[in-house]
Amino acid sequence: MSAAVLYQQVVLDHYRKPRNRGSLDGCTHAADGVNALCGDFLRVEVDCAAERRIAAIRFSGEACAITTATASMLSELVRGMDEAEVALAALRFERVISGAGEDASLGDLNAMAELNRHPSRRKCAQLAWATLRAALAGDSRATTEKDDP
Amino acid sequence: MNAQAELHDMPFDVQRIRKDFPLLTRTVHDKPLIYFDNANTSQKPAVVIEAVDHFYRETNANVARAVHQLGEEATAAYEGTRRKLARFIGAGSPNEIVLTSGTTHAINLVAYSYAMPRLKPGDEILVTTMEHHANIVPWQLVCAHTGAKLKVAPITERGELIVDQFIEALTPSVKLAAVTHVSNVLGTINPIAELARATRKRGIPLLVDGSQAAPHLPLDMRALGCDFYTITGHKLYGPTGTGALWTRKELLAEMAPFFGGGEMIREVRFEGTTFADPPHRFEAGTPNIAGFVGLGAALDYVESVGRARIAAYEAELRDYATAALKTIPGLRIFGEAREKTAVISFLIEGTHAHDLATLLDHEGVAVRSGHHCAHPLMRFYGVPATARISLALYNTRDEIDRSVAAISKVRQLLA
Repeated sequence: MSAAVLYQQVVLDHYRKPRNRGSLDGCTHAADGVNALCGDFLRVEVDCAAERRIAAIRFSGEACAITTATASMLSELVRGMDEAEVALAALRFERVISGAGEDASLGDLNAMAELNRHPSRRKCAQLAWATLRAALAGDSRATTEKDDP
Repeated sequence: MNAQAELHDMPFDVQRIRKDFPLLTRTVHDKPLIYFDNANTSQKPAVVIEAVDHFYRETNANVARAVHQLGEEATAAYEGTRRKLARFIGAGSPNEIVLTSGTTHAINLVAYSYAMPRLKPGDEILVTTMEHHANIVPWQLVCAHTGAKLKVAPITERGELIVDQFIEALTPSVKLAAVTHVSNVLGTINPIAELARATRKRGIPLLVDGSQAAPHLPLDMRALGCDFYTITGHKLYGPTGTGALWTRKELLAEMAPFFGGGEMIREVRFEGTTFADPPHRFEAGTPNIAGFVGLGAALDYVESVGRARIAAYEAELRDYATAALKTIPGLRIFGEAREKTAVISFLIEGTHAHDLATLLDHEGVAVRSGHHCAHPLMRFYGVPATARISLALYNTRDEIDRSVAAISKVRQLLA
């Protein structure tokens, strides 16, 4: 049953109507997330000019439903966060997709809990997080692909 | 009329065939399994599983060393598979068959034992756009070591090798050509006999990756005319970790050992070692004996069904599946060669191959998604990944109908 749960309504909704899709005029940080083996590409741009907190975020690119929906959900969650808060939220998200149960602080992202049963697709949901964290850390590139034969 | 001939005259009874494969009765996510990932690995008939089981219960011993009864039996079973393989592919002699762990091992054996000592800077190795990484990377390693260069023969948009350009590319600097018999992504059957005539005329050895061909096409090495041919056992209804390299006796005799160790020697002194004759010269260490016993049973099984009958039935399935898939709006098929096996790669506009595969899995349909170990071919088509249906002798029209319905459902969900 897990695939149906993974592609539940809220995920499909974020996939079909991604929030904060596009680019920012005058972003302070940006990075490209590339999962070359899947062919997924995600660009994340953020504006952290004020007190190093995320005032605006946009993402663009071509990716699967899981990657796109996670990026959309994440973009809603992280507004107002600073780098340390994003790092903590990313850890919490890791726990959710590893089967630790839902986390009220993550909102719609809890829909990805089902990835616990799809280990091969976790890297899709991790890409937006890794790309945002790379941008905030001043790196220009991120990937969540390790060894895929 | 003997029993075999009688069987071959009967209509192809796929329901009877399905009963030979125990795994096909299982469910996935509460749906009956539809296994469409045969180009990745095939399921195993009960006779293969039982042969492996029987070997470990009754016969287990090492080969070619022990003089005791079990050792004799194990050696006879292992060497029996070599003889069966020789018959299966129309080799001149069982001594032309080196047993390997699969095609990757077989190609690497040729790369290290044949190509590495011979190639020089300025030499070239010719491959094609549609090769699997296993028929690209070993040659790149040879090039890195020898200073030779890799050269690529192009294909058409339909996924057919451009034979004229392949032949034109056979310049004097080309010292080896390596071509797949059947593309694992496109299903394209390459005209090996025609290519081999061109390579032989120029004295260029031709290696053929037969991984995707052996399970589906009748094979005759004498008619094909190539110089090296590789087999993968686990795609041929046999156990994983089995395969073979076929080559002419003369070539095998010229090849240096690749692995050193037990079983490949005649006499070992610290001053130097003399090697066993081929093919054992290339089989150092204890092989996957039980696996090869299973492969022997798999070859018997395929012969009992009849390869011409299998090919004819699979061609019917291929045509039906292709026609059914084409009714889905926005579906694009990659590879429409005139000669192809029942391998169909596709994408649906606006959907990602991995989303498709995950959702089809939920419907009980196992397909492969990804780059299929063929990055250059994906680059040629300008896509990162495709979904792939690959059929085998136990698949049915009903399974195709149910899969097409499932794909339509997924398309509506994602579109």
